[in-house]
Amino acid sequence: MAMNSNEHFKGAAMVLKHLRYALMGLLVCGSWVQANPLNYELTPQEIAPNTWVVTGLTEDFTPQNGGDIVNTAFIVTAEGVVVLDTGPSKRYGEALRRVIREVTEQPIARVYNSHHHPDHFLGNQAFADVDIYALAATIDLIKSRGEAYTENMYRMVGDWMRGTDVLLPNRIQTPGQERIGEHSLRFMAFSGHSGPQSDLVILDETTGVLFAFDLVFYDRALTTPDTPGLMQWLEDIDALSSLEFTTLVPGHGEVATSREPLDQMRAYLTWLDQVLTDSAAQGLVATEVMRVDIPERFSSVALAAQELQRTVTHLYPKYEDLFFAENF
Amino acid sequence: MKRLLILYCAICSGILPSLVLAQVHDSVMWDYTRKMFLGEALYQFDDRIRVSLPEFAEDSMQVPVSVDASAIDEPIVKMITWADYNPIQHIFTYHPESGMLPQVSITFKVQQSTPVRAAVLTESGQWLVGSGYVSAAGGGCTLPSESRMNDDWQSSLGQIRAGRFSRHDQPGADRYKFRIMHPMDSGLVANIPSFYLEQVELRAENGDLQVRLELSPAVSENPSISFDRLSSDQHYQLWVRDNDGNEFQRAL
Repeated sequence: MAMNSNEHFKGAAMVLKHLRYALMGLLVCGSWVQANPLNYELTPQEIAPNTWVVTGLTEDFTPQNGGDIVNTAFIVTAEGVVVLDTGPSKRYGEALRRVIREVTEQPIARVYNSHHHPDHFLGNQAFADVDIYALAATIDLIKSRGEAYTENMYRMVGDWMRGTDVLLPNRIQTPGQERIGEHSLRFMAFSGHSGPQSDLVILDETTGVLFAFDLVFYDRALTTPDTPGLMQWLEDIDALSSLEFTTLVPGHGEVATSREPLDQMRAYLTWLDQVLTDSAAQGLVATEVMRVDIPERFSSVALAAQELQRTVTHLYPKYEDLFFAENF
Repeated sequence: MKRLLILYCAICSGILPSLVLAQVHDSVMWDYTRKMFLGEALYQFDDRIRVSLPEFAEDSMQVPVSVDASAIDEPIVKMITWADYNPIQHIFTYHPESGMLPQVSITFKVQQSTPVRAAVLTESGQWLVGSGYVSAAGGGCTLPSESRMNDDWQSSLGQIRAGRFSRHDQPGADRYKFRIMHPMDSGLVANIPSFYLEQVELRAENGDLQVRLELSPAVSENPSISFDRLSSDQHYQLWVRDNDGNEFQRAL
C-alpha cells in the first residue's frame, strides 16, 4: 500500500502517540511491581534457652520470597552470639543481623556456614567483621562454585540479591567439642547431602538442640545435587538418630521436639532409592521416572514432585549404570 | 486518555500470561525451524504426539526427552525432533522399520528455555507435529563436555552399556535402552572441533534393518537412548558410527 509522505508522517505520529500510552501503561504496571518493598520479614523464635531459630518457607527460590526458604539460627552466649548460617543474600544477612540485635546486646562472636549451598552462606557479607567458620571441604566448595551459585541466585530471585557477593569463610572448623560461653558444642562432619565431609552438624549439649542443617529436610522434599548417594545419606540419618537431643532444627522445615523428622527422612530416602532401583530394573527412561506418583504418606512433604524431577537428573544415570553392569 | 491508559494496562497485563502460554506451541523461531525440517510441506499440530520433558532442565547438558506417537492410528515413516531455540536445532531423526513402536527417548543439550518439536510423517504422507517445552538456565551447547575436562575419555570412547526390558505397562513390547560413551562435541566450543555420534542402527541377526537414527551434536555427551519394539525372540546388533568414522557395536 502506497502512502504519500504526509500520510506517512501522520501514521508515524499515531504510532508514536500510542507507543507513549503503551509505555505509560508499562510504567504503571512496572511501578506496581516495584511498590512491593524487598524486605525479609524475619521472626526469630526462642526454641531453647538463648537459642533462636528463624524459620524459612518450604518453597523453592522465587522472585517473591527472595530466597527466604532456609532456616537460620543463633545462640546467645556469655562470649557473644554464635550465628548458624547467613541466608541467601546480603540483604537477608543484614536483616538477620538486625533481628539478632533486637534480641540481644551481645556482639557477634562467630558465624558458621553449615555447607556450601548458596542459601546458607550468601548472607556472609553482613558479618564481614567477624570470623566465619566452616568445614575445610565446605570452604573449598564455596571457593570453586560460589560465583556460579551467586549468578544463579540473581537469576532466580532477582533484585533481592543486589550487592551480594561471595565472602569466603576465613576459619576452618574441625570436628570435635568446643565450649563457647556456657554452651558445650559438638561439631560433626557428615557427607550425605553435600559430599565428603561437607555437612556440618552441631549438637548443643548444654541445651539438647541438634542443628542438623541440610542433612534433615522436614515436610519439604530433600535436594540431591551433591549427595554421594542415598545410602550414604541414610547412614548419616542413622548416626543422627543415635545422638541424644531434645530439639531438632532441620535446614528446611519446622523445628521439632520429636524424632519425626528423622523418621520421615529415613522413609523418604528409602522410598527414593527403591523407586530409582525399580525403575532402572524395569528399563524406564528418565522422563518416566520423573512422573512417578508420590505416595500418599508423603503428602505433607512440600515440593516432592518437583524435587523428584531434579533427583532423577542427579541420580538416575547411576542407578541405570549399576543395573546394566549387574545384569547385562 | 485515562481510559486509554487503563486499556493499555489491561492489555499488557492480559497479554503477558498468554504470551508465556503461547510459547508452548509457538515461538518466533517456528516458521524458520519448520521450513528447515519440513520445507513447504503441509503439517498440523497434533496432541496425540506426546513430547515429555522435565519442566526445568536441572542439567542443561543432560535433558531427557521422550516422544510417543503411539496414539496415532497408522504406522509412521519418520520422526524428526528439534529444539527451536538451540543453536543446533536438530536433535534426532528416527526411521523405524516394521515391528518398531513409535516411542523414542534420548538425552540432549539445551542452550536456553525452548519449545521442543517432534514432527511425525505418517504412512499416508501427513506431517503431524507434537510440542513440549523445557525451561533452562542455559549454556548446554556452548559448554565443553565433561569428558573434555579430564584426559581419560579416550579410554572409554564408544563403550556401550545396554539392556533389553519387557515393558510392564505395555504387554507385548520390549524396550532397548543403551548409553554410549562419547564426548558429543558440538563444535561450538572454541578449539574443540565437532566430534559426535551421527548414526545408530539396530539390525536383526540376519542383517535386516530394524531402526535407523540420525543424531546431531545437540545430543548429550554419553547419551542415553531407548527404542521400543514389539516383543520378539530375535537377537539384535546395535551399530553406531561417529563423524570421525569410528564404529562401535554391541549385541542386544
